[in-house]
This record gives sequence, structure tokens and C-alpha cells, in this order.
Amino acid sequence: MKIFSKQILIFCITTVFVLTGCEGFLDINDDPNNPTEAPPQGLMTNVTYETAQNMYRMGSITSYYVQYLASPNQASATDVHEAVSYGDQWYQLYDVMTDLSDLEILAEEEGATQYVGIAKILKALNLATLVDAWGDAPYSQAFFAETLNPAYDDQENLYDEVFTLLEDGLIQLQQSNSTIVAGNEDFIYGGDITKWQQLAYMLQARYLNHYSEQTSYDPEAVLAALDNGFQSNADDAQVTYFEEQVNPWASVAIANAGLILGGWMSEQIVDHMNGTTYGVIDPRIEMFMSTNVDGDYVGVTNGAGRGNAPEQGAFSVLTTDDFYSARTAPIIIASYAEQKFIEAEAALMATPSQTTRAYQAYMDGIEAHMDKVGVAEVDKQLYMNDPVVDVGELNLTIDHIMKEKYVAMFLHPESWVDARRHDYAYDDMDPPANSSLGGDWIRRLIYPESETQRNGENVPEISRTDNLFWDQ
Amino acid sequence: MQRLLLFVCVLGTFLFTILGSAQAQQRTITGTVTEAETNEPLPGVNVFVNDTNIGTSTNENGEYSLSGVPADADSLVFSFVGFQRLSVFIGNRSEINVTLQPTIQALNDVVVTSFGIEQERKELGYSTQQIDGENLTIGNQSNLVNSLSGKVSGVEITNTGGAPGRSSRIVIRGVNSLDPGADNQPLFVVDGVPIDNSTIESSGTPRGMSNRAADLNPNDIASVNVLKGSAATALYGVRAANGAVIITTKRGEAGATEIDLSSTVGFDRINAYPEFQEVYGQGFSFQHDPESFWPNWGAKIEEVRENINPDWQYYDIWRDAAQTGVQVDNSINVSGGNENATYYASVSNLQHEGVLPYGNWDRTSVRLSGDISPRENLTVQASAYYINSGGNRVLGDRFMESMMYWAPTKDVTNFEKEDGTMRGYYNNEGSGGNPIYQAKHWTYEDDVNRILGNVTVNYSPTEWFNVLYTLGSDYYSDQRTEIIPGPRGVENENVVSSTGAIEETRINSRDLNSTLNLTFRKDVTEKVSTRLRVGNDIFDRSFNNVVSTGNDFVTPLFYHLSNVRDISLSQTIRQRRLIGAYGDLMINYDNFLYLNLTGRNDWSSTLPEDNRSFFYPSANIGFTFSDIIDLPDHVTYGKLRASYSMVGKDAPVYATSNTYNTPSQFPLAGQVGFSRSNVRGSADLKPEQTTTLELGTDLRFLDNRLRFDFTWYKSNSRDQIFDVPISNATGYTRIITNAGEIENKGIELQIEGRPVQSQDFVWDVAVNYSRNRSEVIEIAEGINQILLGSSFGYAGSSASIQLTEGDPFGNIYGRSYERYYASGEPEDNIYLDKDRPIVIGDDGFPVINNDQKVLGNTQPDWIGSIRNDFSYKNFNLTFLINAKWGQDVYSQYDNFFTAFGITKNTLDREDYRVFEGVTADGQPNTQEVWLGQGLDPEGRIDPNTGLVRDYGAGYHRNVKRGATEEFVLDASYIKLRNIRLAYSLPQDLVTDLGLRRVTLSTTATNIILYTPFSGFDPESRAGGASTNAQGFTALDYPGVASFFFSVNLSL
Repeated sequence: MKIFSKQILIFCITTVFVLTGCEGFLDINDDPNNPTEAPPQGLMTNVTYETAQNMYRMGSITSYYVQYLASPNQASATDVHEAVSYGDQWYQLYDVMTDLSDLEILAEEEGATQYVGIAKILKALNLATLVDAWGDAPYSQAFFAETLNPAYDDQENLYDEVFTLLEDGLIQLQQSNSTIVAGNEDFIYGGDITKWQQLAYMLQARYLNHYSEQTSYDPEAVLAALDNGFQSNADDAQVTYFEEQVNPWASVAIANAGLILGGWMSEQIVDHMNGTTYGVIDPRIEMFMSTNVDGDYVGVTNGAGRGNAPEQGAFSVLTTDDFYSARTAPIIIASYAEQKFIEAEAALMATPSQTTRAYQAYMDGIEAHMDKVGVAEVDKQLYMNDPVVDVGELNLTIDHIMKEKYVAMFLHPESWVDARRHDYAYDDMDPPANSSLGGDWIRRLIYPESETQRNGENVPEISRTDNLFWDQ
Repeated sequence: MQRLLLFVCVLGTFLFTILGSAQAQQRTITGTVTEAETNEPLPGVNVFVNDTNIGTSTNENGEYSLSGVPADADSLVFSFVGFQRLSVFIGNRSEINVTLQPTIQALNDVVVTSFGIEQERKELGYSTQQIDGENLTIGNQSNLVNSLSGKVSGVEITNTGGAPGRSSRIVIRGVNSLDPGADNQPLFVVDGVPIDNSTIESSGTPRGMSNRAADLNPNDIASVNVLKGSAATALYGVRAANGAVIITTKRGEAGATEIDLSSTVGFDRINAYPEFQEVYGQGFSFQHDPESFWPNWGAKIEEVRENINPDWQYYDIWRDAAQTGVQVDNSINVSGGNENATYYASVSNLQHEGVLPYGNWDRTSVRLSGDISPRENLTVQASAYYINSGGNRVLGDRFMESMMYWAPTKDVTNFEKEDGTMRGYYNNEGSGGNPIYQAKHWTYEDDVNRILGNVTVNYSPTEWFNVLYTLGSDYYSDQRTEIIPGPRGVENENVVSSTGAIEETRINSRDLNSTLNLTFRKDVTEKVSTRLRVGNDIFDRSFNNVVSTGNDFVTPLFYHLSNVRDISLSQTIRQRRLIGAYGDLMINYDNFLYLNLTGRNDWSSTLPEDNRSFFYPSANIGFTFSDIIDLPDHVTYGKLRASYSMVGKDAPVYATSNTYNTPSQFPLAGQVGFSRSNVRGSADLKPEQTTTLELGTDLRFLDNRLRFDFTWYKSNSRDQIFDVPISNATGYTRIITNAGEIENKGIELQIEGRPVQSQDFVWDVAVNYSRNRSEVIEIAEGINQILLGSSFGYAGSSASIQLTEGDPFGNIYGRSYERYYASGEPEDNIYLDKDRPIVIGDDGFPVINNDQKVLGNTQPDWIGSIRNDFSYKNFNLTFLINAKWGQDVYSQYDNFFTAFGITKNTLDREDYRVFEGVTADGQPNTQEVWLGQGLDPEGRIDPNTGLVRDYGAGYHRNVKRGATEEFVLDASYIKLRNIRLAYSLPQDLVTDLGLRRVTLSTTATNIILYTPFSGFDPESRAGGASTNAQGFTALDYPGVASFFFSVNLSL
């Protein structure tokens, strides 16, 4: 055994020598593929791009609820308001808000006040988008994995946070000497700080206006905010898409052309615009959608499906020749036209009612949107002068405003907020065929499976017909 | 490269020495050949001078006399059917008496365990199973993993269809990870050096790339030993936590030069087809429409032919589109040497064309190895293995999907127009993808160049001390090019892709292994001897993959990265290092009781610094009770064995830190975006731990003519490192953590016997049986389910494999028909109760339940095989029947067959039926409904509308295709895995021809004998070998049966 011991000793010495010499040998687990720190400019690029994407992602749900789109298949889940887990949308909203949280901290550390301001405004926008769909949601314990089961914050408190973020964002944007000057990495405004400020005010107006059914509704505050908002279509917050990364609605149109069906028009929007409902043809219809093979605009009844119709040619669909679904079309986040309709609504609701301002804003909103989508002057005038549209200042009702705003907000998720505030009271709008809610309207989304499975004890018990706090 | 050159020089010297030895006088050698066990003389044994055609055979007394033996002849070879071939040095002797060992596993058989060390089976306290090279190559499988199928108990082989070069998956004793992407396959070790057996799938839909062990030429392999439990693998450390496949390659033997030539030609055909309906043609709702997208919902073909179009006909498109696969495999090896040096060299080439057109895979290998013993106590072995492999991988899933849509009233083989564009099947041939055209033009080629090299020094300075050092490297580059053709610039053409794309992949992988092993032996007393091994090994892997993707070709037909509008790049770098140190003490008491204790410490680069060092022990005991207890005469041998072991497992690379990444859409407009990574690393990961308890026995009867080996095992894997999905509100989607436990337990049984042994006839039988049961004991706090994978189904019928606590691994979830519960279904009931009546809706059709229920399980109840081997004179017939029983599969094929009306079970489309079941109130259903599309042909009125009832798209599309339950099918099978008839030419004739051995054989493989499954081969699984989510057919490459003809020559 003596020799054993000696040999073992030698081996052990060798091993220890090898191992001590090799401490650095094992220190190779820093990920060479991904950095542990990100440049703020890179985060800015991503959050501006993804915020636009989120408008599409939410719009891809809400456009069925407000009946811009209808499924070609009978009783398709979204189309008939089934309890669907929209995990991707939920995830993407949190993903952007997570990156915004990191950007905010990073920019604060570096004294990049412009970046801090933009981050706060975008966070407000994404947060409000989240709340408007789901209601209560994790926020105060979110984004930094401090707990794996973040608690849910009350939706009204989250709205307070939205306004705080917008105000704080404005304060940051008013600072001079930002260590980073925003530029082309900002896909929304290319670093134009004035426009970011206008957007903050416009969003203040939008979210204050959501209180329209509440006793706390303050139309004057809405009007005061939007006075500092957009001045023209040139101020619209939007991301214009790229040849190498096409507009997501264009992707829907391309897929549909390849028989992966999607982007089919609802009978509701078609009838709304082709003269069926109102007796006047809205010239924007040809910018929105294709005709069928017979040259007619035909929509699918929500929930009914296409019946025995073929995959192509029988109904109007989104195509890459249309304004919203062209390959490099913009995704509009907030527009001057929308602001005008908010103005019209607030002015009309003000006490006393400012009908002149309301009517002017109503007509301006229509015109702004027609200009936006490229309606010829002649057609524009023809439509705007039609008595169905040009109803006269004294006859203007909220229904007129919502009817026109409905068109101007085509595919935008904000339209679902309007529909709920307006109790889906659009002309000829009926619950979908094969409704999963027995003909009731959907009022909110159920929480996604990712939450019920992974954060179950915190998820509030809700039903799809429960109203959000502003929807009473 | 230098090593290669050195080898060529060394080999050259050997050859020169051997071939240069001069001729001299002749002599005569006599002797007797006896049977080793019984000492009976053996008649008919072939005796010949090695490397010559000088030979004879023994007489009835086992005696021989061989004259004309050259004076410089160095060895005699004795061969006889059913016995091990023996080569004996002649030296100066004129009388040589030998005993021959039967080829059945002998008592003190030797197996190769860790680090290429040979051990007597008697010593082992755990189960291993060894397959010799000849048995391995019986089925002519080009992929080594496939050639293990049915030959080892406890081992599950899953192939991914019959495409040339496709990966096959091997799992030993069940999956022991909760993570869908975790590696559950055993470590492959060639001559003591671990090699890479990963499968790097193609981007997008998997094309079925090769598992890298498929690079090995099975003809170069002398034996494969499968180490199953962690006891057997404790010495390989973390990488062998799932077991190990120990491969020993052929080496030269001292004696004259031996040259073996082997040539095989094989033919493949699809081994099973679903039953296709030939009645209804193109169109929808029974309407004839030759320009319809719908391939099979139209009018009856015969009626159309009679009334509308006399040329309208049914084509058997599924058989027309496939072809006979052809494989040609040639190899040559040269080996030999003397007492001081031996060598082995081989060259092989395989060319394989698949059953789906334009798919192929080739493999060329060159192997050189040599052993030198410059001194009696020193051996240096070295080998170099160069392999070139690759081919064009047909996208089987896309091919078969296009087949689904293709109308059988159009000729699928007429796929290309004169202008080179794709001929469609509808819209005036302008629409509809043709599978053959796509296979021809949408190519994915891989080209692997690989070098495996190793040097081993074995030095025994004293009798009690031995040093073994091995240095090995495994380097490969894998260059891949995918071309998706864009438009050819012809007006109104039917395009494969509207833009086209090119993807260039460059993979470089390099493994280095260094292993030092010191062995000490000491006899403590007369009865107690000990052996101690201590060792160290170091592993270093470096992997780099660069992918450039170009989209949208500018100039048609010019497929180059410079010719695209949009280019994106990605790069993946991975590096992993391991250091291990271990000790292994064996105490042998009187050669019947063996106690083996091991301990190992690993240091892994993938774990946090504080936890990177971890230790795990094992103990096993082997007790040959037959040596000390008097047993009945017919019991030859009996051994009991037991082992308890632990093995650790480290983390995936880069799981300890948090990072930012660049989403794939960037750069855009010159900007690169960054986003926080979704996976939260964990800075305090600790190693996983698997403990295994194993008990077994080895019993032999009737002078070893019957052997019985039984094993029971239970293994628990705890502290699993896996991605736990977490609330997205945390800022992450997953967190890497240590959590969860999975248990596998089962039994393995081997029976081997020789029922008949006579002078001319030998019959051997081998049976393998195994069953494994798994349970997910725990997942992680707050997590109820883990999604392993999912497979698309129409109308919400997608299936998924989910893991849930308390349930077995591999449950398939999906939509089912609602079952009737008088007092309401219990809320937590996740299993579908098929015995309950189906609820029939007000419309008279079964109601589909949207809740996800367990519809089946992907894991087999048992796997078994039986091999028979008959030798009669110069003939040998061997066949292996293999069964895998009780596993379910989600058949996307059947979902599509239903959706498109392709198979015979959609011929009921003009039937009326009262669906068996109950209405919502529990009363038997009496409503008769029509199964077809459109209006009721008998004009029956729909009471709800007062009009003739409109069935819309009909039962198959509206109801059946949406029920996952209909497509979760029993994929049990019994297969004739292989059958081979071989004939060895008589020795006299062979000798006259100047040869030593000539064997002709014909083989058939993979023939389905029985299966309840109605589609293609029930064995094929989609998804490649690397995923644990096995249980989906997808629309992947069908399985094939093969027929081979082989010639083997030795000279």
C-alpha cells in the first residue's frame, strides 16, 4: 500500500496543479453572442418599432370586435368573442415596457433627459393599451423579476400612473443638455422633441377622454391638453415600414394571397362605407380594401364565415395595394385626425356645449383623414358636402362623431375603446353570428394562460362581459 | 494533417515489411481441433495458412494435416460455423492443437467499459449489453444508431423516416429531463474518446439532418457496448448521465495481411401506404371542377369520365411521386501486422438516393489506425478517421403537404412546364405547388468534413501499475446551402416563393478530450485482490455557427448572396469545458465477489464559480453465487448484482447571466435594436443529480446454452436545470432554475440460447424485452404544466405534449368529443374517458369539447425483439423481429386526410348516419344526419329554418377534423427488422480462386408485420433526434423497407 500512496500523492499533486493552473480555463461562461449591456440607442430603436407593432398586434384582435374584419371561417374564436388567451399580445406589451424600464434607468444614469422623457411617454402609451384591454395588471412589482408572482395593480391606479408618466415625460423633454440627442434611432419622430411633446399632450387628451362615461369626466381638461397636441397630419405618431420588414398588415395580405386566410372585411365596415348603411359611398373604401371578382365590396358577416365561398375572390380583403396594408405603409400610433374627433367629442360634451368647435373639429377630422389616405380633392368635397356627413352644427351628435371616427381609426385598437364607450351603438352593428356570449358584447379580454398558469394566485377573476372602470 | 502524414509513413513501412518477406521452403503441420467446452473433437473445421489459399479441413476425429505450408508462413487460421475464428502463430511448431470457442457469449466474456478498458463481465455490478460488429451490420443500416434497433434491451431507437442520412434518436431507460430541448441521448465514445452525436436541424421546418454518429462507417466497428445505468457511466461524468454507447473499432491483428472487400447494393421502397379513396375527384360539394383548389371533394371521377370528360381519371399520385431508393455501399479494409505492430486501414463509400425524388446522402470515410509496441510493456495506438458526408435533404414535410393538396385527377409527375416553371393543378395549371418540382428546386445541401483523431499510450512499468493516456479530437465543419427559388421572370408563373431566398450556414465544431488513467493492482491476501484506478479527464468544446440569409433575388435563377435585396446574419458561439477527476476501487474476493466503489468530481465551465465543482459516488457489487453454492447440474453459472449510483449534470452554456439581444428584424434603416433577453439566467445554479438503483441477475444453464439476464432499475433525476416559464410581467418569459424531478423505473430481460447444435446445424435465439414507466414527480413551484411540443391540426385540433405533476412523461393533449356525465364532469378530470357515451348535439353531430384532455401517451408500454440465427453448413439465416407496443402518436397525416377527403375512410360522405351517443339530457341519440357537403340530397327539411338542410362543408370538415381525438392513434408495431440469408462459398472452391473467404448475402429490412396504425410507417417520428417532444408524425418523410444484396470477399 505504500507505493499506492506515493502514486496517489503524485497524481493528486498533478491534478491540483492542473486545476489551479486552470482556474481561468473554466471562466468562459460569459455569453459571447449577446452583450450584458445594451446601448440606449439600440433600446430606443426597438421600443419605438415594437410600440408600433403592438398597435398592430392589439388591432389584430380588436378589429374583429369592432367588425372591421371578419373571419372567413364560421364561428372563429376571436370573431365570436370566445375566451381566447391572447398571450402574445400580453407578452409583447410587457416586453416593450420591460425594455422601456431598462431604457429609463440607463438614460437617467447617463443624464439623457430626452431619452427618459420618450421612454416615459411610450411606457404610458403601452400601459394604457394594456389596461384598456385587460383592466387590472401587474405593474408596481413588474419588469425586474423581484418576485416571480407579481401582484396586480388596480386599473384606475394604473391610469393615474399613465398620466404621471406623461407629465414626467413632458418635464424631462423640457430639460436642456440631454447627454444623448435623439435622432434616427427613434423610428417614430426621428428625434423631433417638439413632436414628442405634442404626442404627450395628445395622449393626455385621449386618455382623459376615456372618462367620458364617468362623473369625473372633464372635457375642458381634454381640450386644454389637445391645444398643445398635434397641429396637422405631419405630427402623426407612426412608424413607416421597410422593404426588408414589411408592414404587419401587409404580411396578413400577402399570407391571404397565399391562402393562409386573414384580413377579410366585415360586412359592417363594408356596409358602413359602400353606401348600404348611410346611402353615401365613402371614397376611402377603395384605399381600405379590395373588391371581389365582380368588382363589388362584399364583407363577411362576423361569426358566419364564408360558407361555401372559395378562399379567394368572393369577398373584400386587405391587399398590398391598400393604404393600411401596403408593404411600406405606416402603422399609426396616434393621429391628428383622431385628435380632432377627440376634440369634437369633448367640445360637444363640454358644459356648455361648444358646438361650433365640435363641428369644426368633426369636419377637420374627416378632412385630415381623407388627406392622410390620399382621397382626391373632388371626391373629398363630394363626401364632405353630402348631407349625411355635413349634418350642420346644430344637428351634430356623438353618433355622427363616432361614426366618422370609426372610419378614421380603421384597424386601430383605440377603436375598441370607442366602441365600448359608445356601447357598440353603431348603425346596423349586431353581435356576431354564433356569438359565444349569447349576443352580449365583449368588454374585456380574459387573462392569458401564461398568467393563469404561472401567476394564478394573483390573477383576478373576471368575465368577458365585465366592464372596465371607464366603461360604465 | 501531420498526424495523418505520419500514419501514412508508418503504414507504408509496415506494408513494405510484410510484403517484402521472402519465400522459402515448405513444411507440413498437423494437429487436432477440439471443442472448448466439451473437449470433443470437431470435424469439418477449415484450416488454412493465413494470407494464402493453402488450406484443408479436419476429419471426423478433428484431425488435420496441412502440407505445403511455406516456411515463412506465420499463422494458421481455424474457422468453423458457430465458433469463434482463431488465428494461431506457427513459430517453429509442426504440430498445432487448438480448441475452438462457440460464438455464443462465453462465461468469462469480456466487455469494453469506460475509456476503452476491457473488463470481465463477471466483475460488473451493473447491466451492459454488447453487440459485435457482425451482428451490428446485419441490417445494412448506414446509420449506426439504427443498427442498434431491437438489439439491446432498455434502449429505444426512434427513426425520423426513411430519408437518406436522416437522424435517429436513441434513449436509454426513458427520458430523464423536463426540458424539451435537453439532451437525453447517451454519450458516444469511440476507442475511449467521446465524440459528438448532436443533430443540428435545418432552420424552419426540420429536414431531418444527420445525427453525427451517422458519420461512422458501421463496417469499421468491432463492437458496441451499451452502458445503461449511471453506475456504468459514473466514470465518464456529466456527459454520460444518459448512458454511454461504447464503440470499439476494428484493429489489425498480428499475422499476415488480411484484405476484406465488401460491396452492397440496396433498394428502398415506402413500406406502408394509407388506403386512398379513388372515387371522388377535384371540386367541392360534389361539384366537378377541374380548376378547383379542392382536390377530393368533387364529383365521382367515373361519372365525370362518362358524362363530361372522357380523359378524367384517377392517378395513384402517392406512389407515382415516390421512386425506388437506391443505395450502393463499397468498402475495403486492409489489416495485419506482427507482434510489435499492427495496423488497420479502410476506405468506404456510400451513395444513397431516397424514395422521395432529388434527395440523397453520401458518405466517404477513410480510416487509418495502428498499434505499436516498441517495448513489451508499452503500446502506442493512434488512429485518424476522415469522413465526408452530406447530400440534398428533401423537405419531406413540405413534399407530403403538397401531396395533400394535389388533385389525384392530375398527373403529379408532369411537374415542369417547357419554360421551366412549375405546373400547378388548378387555375389552368397556374396554382398549386407540385411536390416534385419543389423537391427539385428548393434544395438544402449539407457538406460535412470531419476528422476524428486519437492517440493512446498504454504503459505498464510493473505488473501492478499501468498508465493509460488518450488524447482525442473531433473536428468537423458543416457547410449548408438552402436555395428557395424565386420567380423565373415568366408571366403568370406558378412560383415556389414570390421572392426566393438563399441561406448559407457555416458550422465549425471542435471537441478535445484528454484522459489520463492510472491503474494499480495489488493482491492483499491470497483471496483478496484490489484494483484502484484514478484518473483525470479534460473536455473542451468550441462551436461556431454563422448563418447568412438573403431574401428576394434581383436577377432570376442567379442564386448567390450578392443577388438579394435583403440580407441578415446571425452567429452562435458556444464554448464548454469540463475537468473531471475520479477514483475507482475494485475489491475482488476469491473471484466470486466483486465490490466496486467509485467517486468522481467534475468542474464545469457552465455552472457558477461557487457551484462548478461537484462530487458524486457510486457502489456496485457482483456476486457469482454459482462459484460457492452447489447448484443443480444444469445450472452453469449464476450471478447477482446490485448498484447504487449518483451522477451529476451541468447546465447549458451561458445560463448564469442576463443579456440583451438583437431581435432578428434588425438592422432596419441602418439601426440595430436591442431588447432584454427573455430568459433570466440564474447566478446560483447547482448541478442536476440523477440517482439510480439497479438490481439484476445473470443465470446460465445447460453448459451455457441458455443464458438469462434480468435487470430492475429505478432512477430519479432531481434539481433539473431547465427553463421555467414565468409571468411575462416579470420582464422575462422564462427563468433558468433548478427544480423538478422525474422518475423512470423498469425492467430489462435478455434470454439467449442455442436450442440446436449439431455438426452441420446451429440455431441461436436471442430475446430482448424491456419496459419503462415514468412519472413527473415535481415540476416547479407555481408551474402546473410544461409544454414539450405541439403539432398543428385543422380547426383547433392541434395536439400538444405536456408534462404535468403526477403523470407519466409524454401525455398527448387535444380536443375530444364531449363525453356524457350525468351529474357533470369533475372539473379536474384531465383524462378522456373513452368508455363514456359521446354527447351528440342538437344538430345531430358529436359535440367537440374544447378543453384539452389527455388522449394518449407517446411512450411505449414495452419494447421487445427476438432474433433467430440458423447456420447450416455454409448457409446462415438470421432474422430479427422487433415490436414496440402501446405508444400513441398524433397523426397530422390523418388530420389532413380527413380535411381533404383523401383516404378511404372519407368514402362515407354520401351516407346517412345516426351517431352513437346521447343527447345533452342523456337520452340515446336518434337524429339521422347526412355526412356530405351542401344540401341534403333527399331534401330533408331543417326544422330550424324550414328549408332543406344545408350541411355546409360537411361532417369531415365541420366536425371530424376538429377532434384531435380522431387522430391520436395507436402506433404499435411488429416489424421484421431484418432478415438475412448468407452463403459462404465452400473453402475448397474459395481456395482454388485464390481467396480466403467469399460470402454472398441478401437482406431485407424494416418490413411491417403487424400494426393497428393505418398510415405510413408507424415508427417514423417528426422533429429530429434532438427534441424530447417525440410523438408527432407531422407530414414527415415516410418509412421505407430495404432490400440488399451483398458480396464480401477476403483475400
